Amino acid sequence: MSTSHAEHDHEHGHGSTNGDHVPHVLPFKVYIGTFATLLFLTVVTVAASYVNIGHTGNLIVALLIATIKASVVALIFMHLKWDHKFHGIIFVSALLFLAVFIGITMSDTEFRGEAEAIEAKNPVDLKDPFKAQRTGDIAIPKEIAPAAGGSAAPAAGSAAPAAVPAKH
Amino acid sequence: MSAKAEALGGAGESKLSPQFHVAHHFDKADTQFDAGRMGVWLFLVTEILLFGGLFCAFAIFRSKYFPSFVEAHHHLDRVMGGINTIVLITSSFTMALAVRSAQKNETKKTTLLLAITLACAAMFLVVKYFEYSHKIHDGLLPGGNFTAADFASGHPGIFFAIYFMMTGIHGVHVVIGMGLILWILLRNQKSEFSSRYYAPVENVGLYWHLVDLVWIFLFPLLYLVG
Repeated sequence: MSTSHAEHDHEHGHGSTNGDHVPHVLPFKVYIGTFATLLFLTVVTVAASYVNIGHTGNLIVALLIATIKASVVALIFMHLKWDHKFHGIIFVSALLFLAVFIGITMSDTEFRGEAEAIEAKNPVDLKDPFKAQRTGDIAIPKEIAPAAGGSAAPAAGSAAPAAVPAKH
Repeated sequence: MSAKAEALGGAGESKLSPQFHVAHHFDKADTQFDAGRMGVWLFLVTEILLFGGLFCAFAIFRSKYFPSFVEAHHHLDRVMGGINTIVLITSSFTMALAVRSAQKNETKKTTLLLAITLACAAMFLVVKYFEYSHKIHDGLLPGGNFTAADFASGHPGIFFAIYFMMTGIHGVHVVIGMGLILWILLRNQKSEFSSRYYAPVENVGLYWHLVDLVWIFLFPLLYLVG
């Protein structure tokens, strides 16, 4: 990539005599070759979806082929291969942030209720995920709470705010 | 500078993109072109993150309601999805060639290629229209509007909510892209673009390729794998 980029600059240096932009025109066969590659990979991805290698296997194959197709489009149709390196860095950094975004989100949603044994007993309510912050995150066994109401009334003063929202 | 450029340019070259000039805060045309293109790349980053949120939603709900996703995705027409993939790849190809012919001062060819790109985009939307009307007819609608019977799994409406949102926002991008390509086509007919100045063709091309790029991921994920 860096070699092509250098050539590009080289061409610019010689082509431009009056400060005008001199385009870097790619041969027609590059475009037709890219087009044929994309059509071929589309057929491959459809064909691969009929081969049963398990849901995860099919997903990985489909994503792999899509990534190859996307790379071909970005490198050749979008001229990233001959473009300034910085434009490529912008593009790739977006993909890295996307990976962070999806990766960290799924590391949360995939493992809810599994982090600790106590969490499995009190799974987070998806519609009210921050309930624990309001209630002080105190686990109150439901069968004991009403019985304790009468005898341990003075002691339950601090636990009462936690018990009230837990009931509804 | 323009007088010097005309003197150096020789016969004919002074007629290329006569309205074009380099803004005074750029030292040369290359710098101006690169600055514009970098701006478009930064915009494309925001587009990736926009669609990224939807892909993230797809990933989470596919994992949570996996049987529903597998069952629901069989109700998408993969033939129509496949045709649309080929149509969009073809439009990307003609768009790339339009940029090339603009670089080579082939104005009429650029107009023709942009018109083909526009026709492909319109065809994509027509196929999408048939797909959508079929889904609406069958009651395969998002969330609470889902009315189709005989589904074994529990939450097919969530799949269709994501399907309509992802393909809908992608469709809006196709419509906006058509407007941009038409704008470029009309300007090209006024001979505004040449090897000296074709930045708008190149930049609309970049946007159009991104629309294609998003579909390259949408098609296998929604139609083929589910």
